Amino acid sequence: MDEEEHLHRYGTPLDPLEKDEVPAKKPLGIEDQVVKDENGKRRFHGAFTGGFSAGFWNTVGSLEGWTPQNFKSSRAEKATPRAQQRPEDFMDEEDLGEFGIAPQGIRTRDEFAKESELEQRTGQRKRKLMQAPASGPIPGVPVLEQLLKPVKDKVAVRILKSMGWKPGQGVGPRQTKKEKQQAKTRNTREQYLLEHYGAEPKEDQQQDEAVVDADDDDDDEEDITFAPDDYEPVFYTPKENRFGMSYSGLNRDPILSKSSSASGANVMQQFNLFGDLETKSHPKKVTIRGQAFGVGAFEEEDEDIYARDDMTRYDFTLENKKPKQKKVQHVQQRHVIEGFSEDKSGVSSQKPFAIDLPRDFSPRNWLHRRSRFEPLAKEKIRQLEADNEYKKAGLGRHDLNPNQRAKLLGEAAISAEEPTKKNPFKDKGKSLLERITSKGNSFTTGGVITETGEEQPQKPKAIDVTKEVVQSNAAILEKASLKTKDLAPLAPKAGFKPFLADEAKQQRYEKFLEANLKDETKITEFLSNLQPVTLSLWDREMEKKEFIQAAKIYRPLAGLMYDRFVSEASVQADKVDSAKDAVPQETKQIIMERTKTMWKPSSLLCKRYNIAEPFGGAMIEPEKELKAKPKMSIFDYLETSINTKANFQTPTIIPKHIEKPKEVPPLPAPVPLAPPVLEASKSSQSIDPPPSSSKVTFVPKTALEKAVDESRDRPISEKVDLFKSIFDDSDEEQEEQVVENAVEELPEDKLSAMQAALGLPSTSTSSAAAVNILRNNSPPRGIFAALFKPPAEDQPPKDTPPPKFAPIEGNKLKISYKSREERLRNDKELAMADVPKEDLYGPKLPTSQQKIQAVDSEETSTDAKLQELLLQHGSRKRKPDQWVEKILDSSDDSEDDSDTDASSDSSSDRIKKSKSSKAKKSHKTEKLKKSKKSKQKSKKKSKKSDKTKHKSKKKKSKH
Amino acid sequence: MPTFAEFQCQTTIDCKQGAVRAVRYNIDGAYVLSCGSDKKIKLWNPQSGLLLKTYGGHADEVTDAAGSCNSSYIISASLDKSIIYWDVSTGSPVRRLRSHAGGVRCVCFNEDSSIAISGGRDNAVMCWDIRTRRLDPVQVMKEAKDCITTVLTNQDKIYAASLDGCVRSYDIRMGELTCDKVGEPITYLAQTKDEQCLVAGCQDSVVRLLDCETGGLLSEYKGHKADDYHIECGILANDAHIVAGSSEGLVFIWDLLETNILQRLRISDNGGVVHSLATHPKRQELLFARRRDIYVYTTDIQIEEEQL
Repeated sequence: MDEEEHLHRYGTPLDPLEKDEVPAKKPLGIEDQVVKDENGKRRFHGAFTGGFSAGFWNTVGSLEGWTPQNFKSSRAEKATPRAQQRPEDFMDEEDLGEFGIAPQGIRTRDEFAKESELEQRTGQRKRKLMQAPASGPIPGVPVLEQLLKPVKDKVAVRILKSMGWKPGQGVGPRQTKKEKQQAKTRNTREQYLLEHYGAEPKEDQQQDEAVVDADDDDDDEEDITFAPDDYEPVFYTPKENRFGMSYSGLNRDPILSKSSSASGANVMQQFNLFGDLETKSHPKKVTIRGQAFGVGAFEEEDEDIYARDDMTRYDFTLENKKPKQKKVQHVQQRHVIEGFSEDKSGVSSQKPFAIDLPRDFSPRNWLHRRSRFEPLAKEKIRQLEADNEYKKAGLGRHDLNPNQRAKLLGEAAISAEEPTKKNPFKDKGKSLLERITSKGNSFTTGGVITETGEEQPQKPKAIDVTKEVVQSNAAILEKASLKTKDLAPLAPKAGFKPFLADEAKQQRYEKFLEANLKDETKITEFLSNLQPVTLSLWDREMEKKEFIQAAKIYRPLAGLMYDRFVSEASVQADKVDSAKDAVPQETKQIIMERTKTMWKPSSLLCKRYNIAEPFGGAMIEPEKELKAKPKMSIFDYLETSINTKANFQTPTIIPKHIEKPKEVPPLPAPVPLAPPVLEASKSSQSIDPPPSSSKVTFVPKTALEKAVDESRDRPISEKVDLFKSIFDDSDEEQEEQVVENAVEELPEDKLSAMQAALGLPSTSTSSAAAVNILRNNSPPRGIFAALFKPPAEDQPPKDTPPPKFAPIEGNKLKISYKSREERLRNDKELAMADVPKEDLYGPKLPTSQQKIQAVDSEETSTDAKLQELLLQHGSRKRKPDQWVEKILDSSDDSEDDSDTDASSDSSSDRIKKSKSSKAKKSHKTEKLKKSKKSKQKSKKKSKKSDKTKHKSKKKKSKH
Repeated sequence: MPTFAEFQCQTTIDCKQGAVRAVRYNIDGAYVLSCGSDKKIKLWNPQSGLLLKTYGGHADEVTDAAGSCNSSYIISASLDKSIIYWDVSTGSPVRRLRSHAGGVRCVCFNEDSSIAISGGRDNAVMCWDIRTRRLDPVQVMKEAKDCITTVLTNQDKIYAASLDGCVRSYDIRMGELTCDKVGEPITYLAQTKDEQCLVAGCQDSVVRLLDCETGGLLSEYKGHKADDYHIECGILANDAHIVAGSSEGLVFIWDLLETNILQRLRISDNGGVVHSLATHPKRQELLFARRRDIYVYTTDIQIEEEQL
């Protein structure tokens, strides 16, 4: 029974079921239970029926449910920009209510909140930081409390921690063991007294208590200090009844109900999850209430008859309770303010002397702000007036400009007399003092000079002031001159005397200094006059050098200063002058300079401006700095493979035998003296191919093509040759090439001669060959091997330059290696393209050669136009007609393959050319027999042209 | 000689976009563009002060803007080194052009808005093709030795004023670059309607009238204070008056021929630099930018109202 008393119950107990009674209703199923708010509306819906208080049924109160905000703005009423949406906009009243998800109300923030408040708010009890070690069944700090620590401390705690405080410690200066114990006993005592008497302990009690308690420390470890103990702060309970002090009458509450016991603190302590594990089982207090014995009439009255004793106040052991000597000292120390220590030196404090304040001193509160309009103190007014007197007199700092002031100070004379010399210190002839004194003299004569420049009869006040100034200045100057009189003569040559040991030399040096010569020859002359004859030439030279050096090093200080410093007045004067100059600066002439240079507008710019390109677009571009692609892309590398301009080596590598053919063509020309004629005939020839030739005509496959087709289907094992030819060491090939080239030279010559005779453009196959040799022939490595496989089509022509007679099988294989589309295209090209005349022996002309036949004058590239221009200007005799194109070709030749990545213009040019070449070829097909070799060549060429076409297409698409 | 009528303040607009860096009329002067230091461009109706649209997308202060000839696009320059081509109606950036190595100071369209020309702190003038989607400039002119402050263009010339004290005119027709050295840093350049003269606002507080043909200095207009500000100047639609801002909240209007000050407009009593201005392409109307406000000044308020 007794135990049940201590049990706690939660909730309201159900009515006990009668045994016979059958429950009338079925208990509600979970699905039928509905949460309703205070208005009886349904609060929660199922997840699929609107969720939390949303949806169709009970939103904003309307059947429509939520209606979107509509935007209204009229001229009269401007729509105000909607403020940022807040979560509150979407909340009901009840959400904001006390039990809602966002309760409203003014309260302290969590970090500042009192513990008890926080407890209330969060429903949890936080650890009591100032709690004394609990007295539960488990000794030590409550376990739960230790486990669950607050996430963040209160501000005060944080501050304390930053000051070195640790939880569990008390606050205050560190104490020695003794002090600590004293404090502890004191505290317990105070606590006790407070509990029982509700009043501060009396001083004497404390004292003797301290004396009693402090005796048990034997070790004098004054060095070791401890943090003071923590103690529960004392809470004073207000007196609410009219009983006597600390009297609590009989408890009127029923004995069993503990909840309504008097002290509020107890209520909270009834059950505490975070407190002790067990509710406090009240230990039986060993208290003796009242006094055991009454007070007799003759006895002295007790100090307090209401004192309640407990067993702690009784001694249980026999101990020496005599206070030690030390204790006395400690007791004494108690009078010292905390944080201070007693001065043991014994020096009596000095008596503070009275400060005699000025009679008119009136203490002022500086925090108190004065009104601006408060009347000033009379004296202050007087003082201010006196201070500003000069302003009235028109002598204020800002009343005069520097010039006027300079005049007033007598400096004006200088600037007037010697306007050329801006720096008065520069004339070193005069000593500084002389000049100063001279100025000093002028002070005395100075007066106020008005702006008009007239010396006016001054107003009495002004006279006073200026006179005073002048006189005082004069006096100072006099004094100064007196003081420095002795120094004055020394001043100019007061410099260091480097040659004191040798007097004659020193004299010579001084003379040398005076002479102040700059020119070396003059110095030697000058010195030779001074120097004694006995001196050797070498000595003389040395001396000269020494002197010059010394003069440089030991320059008199004054001289140094002369150079570096300038009197302020003169600087100001300069400034004024410059300012003056600035005003009439308007005369400063702006001289317009016009320079004209060539500038090439880009063709697109011209197009957009609807203007024809200047000089027909044949201007030289100064630099092609912009040609570099501004953006990097992996596709750039994929497309342009290796044969970009940048990848080409310097022309030093070009083998000689390749350059030869270049020079050859003009030589074999039968009529070298009449190139215009020749060219004219050529052009006439080149026009010959009918314009309709550009049409694509399909020709049935030849035997070779069929063979090639067959070879495509062969197994890989048979294609070893192909791979070899591709990835084999290029050196061998090159060597071969060289040999072949050498062999070919002769036929080539023949060819060119033939061509010349026929009026065909001379071939310079070498250029293509050269270009090809310059290419990076090494097989692709690493990832590039994979990267460059698809464009492998690029490689065969590279590896096997046009002039080379490659074995047919190899070639076939190469072709077979290509991708399918490529093959198809090639077939077409093959069909279209044709072999050159059979009577032309030797390698097929590279495609670039044949582009020439493009006749359209509009299609000339910029280079060609440039050439044209050059020729026009260079030799007027020549007719600037079609023949120019020939030169274009030759020039093109050299560049052609090298700048595959060149501008879109040139590439587009090339297409046209290749087209025309194609046209020509197809034209030829009709009349010419096909040879295997030539077919191979043409295949290659067609490939090439195809490539260029492809590229140009890409470029075009970019625009 | 047209008679001069005093200008009066018609509208004041608080742009609410930080300091207004530049104000510009559109092609027919019906709308106003203001470039703010808050990286936005705002389109206004200058008569009513109504904000029509805000264009945001720049990453730094907008320094200049220009409307296209059909008023359907805007090009703007910013210190974020980019130029943005905006669609006026949707307010979305159509293209962002980046090639300048420094902040872009000025931008303009050519006559048919097929080319945009920009000048920047990288001393380069760049021409951008607007017709195509090309993202790199058509042409770059790097002749200037200092920051480009203004670019202008007419039918066949591109003018670029630079802080190196030169006005460079690139003649597309002739393929010629003419460099007129003034000697003082030029902060702004305007062109007369007849395209014969240039009005150059110089750093030394002088507005100079330059002859395009000969490169001669025709006259100088003084009285305002440029200090170290990027003070803009302009020429009124009648080609008879020259206007320039000043660093102390004033605007000066000079007679083109007489070079005397005709009017001294006090834009505001409490200072502030009137650094940007725009002249109406047809009417006698002026637009000033001071601090965060735009001011519309006009000679004939009554007529304006009638028109409305």
